[in-house]
Amino acid sequence: MNCELFKQNVILLVYEELADDMLFEMRQHAGRCAACHQELESAQQFRSDVSAIPMVEPAPNLLAASRLRLQEALETAEQHHGWRAWVFDPVDWLRQLRFSPALAAVILIVGFAGGVLTAFRVSHPATIDPGTIDSPAEASIAGIRGITQDPSTNTIQISYDKLQQASTRGSIDNPDIEKLLLYAAHAQQNPGVRVESVSILSRKCHDTQIRETMMRALLDDRNPGVRLQALDGLEEYVKEDIQVRNAVIQALLNDSNPGVRTEAIRLLQPVKADSMVRSAFERLARQDNNEYIRSESERTLNSLPPID
Amino acid sequence: MSVVQNVVGATGSTADTSPFRGNMVSQALRRVDDNVLIREAQRGNRAAFEELVRQYDHAVLRLALRLTASEQDAQDIYQEAFLKAYRNLVSFRFECSFYTWIYRIVTNLCLDHLRKKNVRKEDAPVTTMQDGTELSLLDQVADDRAHSNPERDLMRRELGHKIGIALNRLTARERMVFELKHYQGLKLRTIGEMLNTTEETAKNTLFRATQKLRGALAEMRE
Repeated sequence: MNCELFKQNVILLVYEELADDMLFEMRQHAGRCAACHQELESAQQFRSDVSAIPMVEPAPNLLAASRLRLQEALETAEQHHGWRAWVFDPVDWLRQLRFSPALAAVILIVGFAGGVLTAFRVSHPATIDPGTIDSPAEASIAGIRGITQDPSTNTIQISYDKLQQASTRGSIDNPDIEKLLLYAAHAQQNPGVRVESVSILSRKCHDTQIRETMMRALLDDRNPGVRLQALDGLEEYVKEDIQVRNAVIQALLNDSNPGVRTEAIRLLQPVKADSMVRSAFERLARQDNNEYIRSESERTLNSLPPID
Repeated sequence: MSVVQNVVGATGSTADTSPFRGNMVSQALRRVDDNVLIREAQRGNRAAFEELVRQYDHAVLRLALRLTASEQDAQDIYQEAFLKAYRNLVSFRFECSFYTWIYRIVTNLCLDHLRKKNVRKEDAPVTTMQDGTELSLLDQVADDRAHSNPERDLMRRELGHKIGIALNRLTARERMVFELKHYQGLKLRTIGEMLNTTEETAKNTLFRATQKLRGALAEMRE
């Protein structure tokens, strides 16, 4: 530790932003060096001086008026849907470009490929039959841009890139729609797309392939929102399908997100007497790091009749 | 019972039965509650969104009031921030907490406000109340100790005046980082996340801001 380094870090010391080892070194140095000791006192005095202006708390009337005004505005406000953010928000796109050279490179490549394709299409015109869909083989899908659903007509619209961006519509029972949704559920980088696809597929968990996709999403997906959606879909199969039950137990034991684990506890309540479930709760009640999970597990165990 | 009622009910019962649970657990629970509310709000449930608003709007309004020093401007920023959050909630991906997300929106709006506003740098910071009256920040630096003496009170007010002027001389970004650190007590890592930058950059900005403030206060003492 030298005086220059001390001066650079003294404000972090005063605002309690230093790691323990650095803090120790700084204090040791201040004990030895009169000038740095004075610098520390001056920084502490500064913090105390600035605290002379207290925080202004908003008046209750102002808060109430603001809430009222917001409620009125929400009456007419509409939520943007996923695909609109991609298509109609170029400012946001540019902002992302600014901070992401990799994304810029990808867009450049896609743009170049699009140009080549357009030139090819112009020289080889093809007829397009609106309302139908080419069977979307996985290998030809470049990426899924967005999924939207219309609850009133029960139709789902998926925008995806093959050689060029395409859009398709159909019910969830359409095999092509289902194939795209399954692809989106596990192969997409965009967690928003995964959340949408898992959410839609969760309505068809009676199909074993879809149920497996849900279990894979629950156990492997990096995004807790996707994992929560998968849990939603699997809920009604916890009783009847032992694989689903095991997957939920795995999530309860190993998931990094407390929200997912709390939801898993709830899903397992109807089968808490099952020996696997019981032993999972016993393990959590005994040694889990999360106090809430520990106490909930203990509460669940206490609600069970004793084993004869 | 609605989802909102369920969530609120669950939170209430947990608080009743666990006086020994620490901050970490309550934060985790809040995050769980928020996630449930967000998912409901993403499906178009406005009651769930309004519940989210109620959890964070006091802090949002306080920050906006502090930075704009005007009740009208603070109310406008509050309104715009939550409307923006509502419209774009579908794009919320649970990669950060809702708290960080809404603060990011508010800080961006406040930064724009600070940059656009034609501040008279030498003026003391003044809060404009809704009825049009102006309340100087000096008036808020009252010494409420029973044995306070007028001379010391005057000095404290004078110091508050100087600090207000020094704060107004900072750049918008320096002011924002300093306010979030000093007055809101946030960690630099969180501030970095909110301002779409790194913890290191937030540290450097705080360093510059405090250097300027200390320099300005020293000048004024002379």
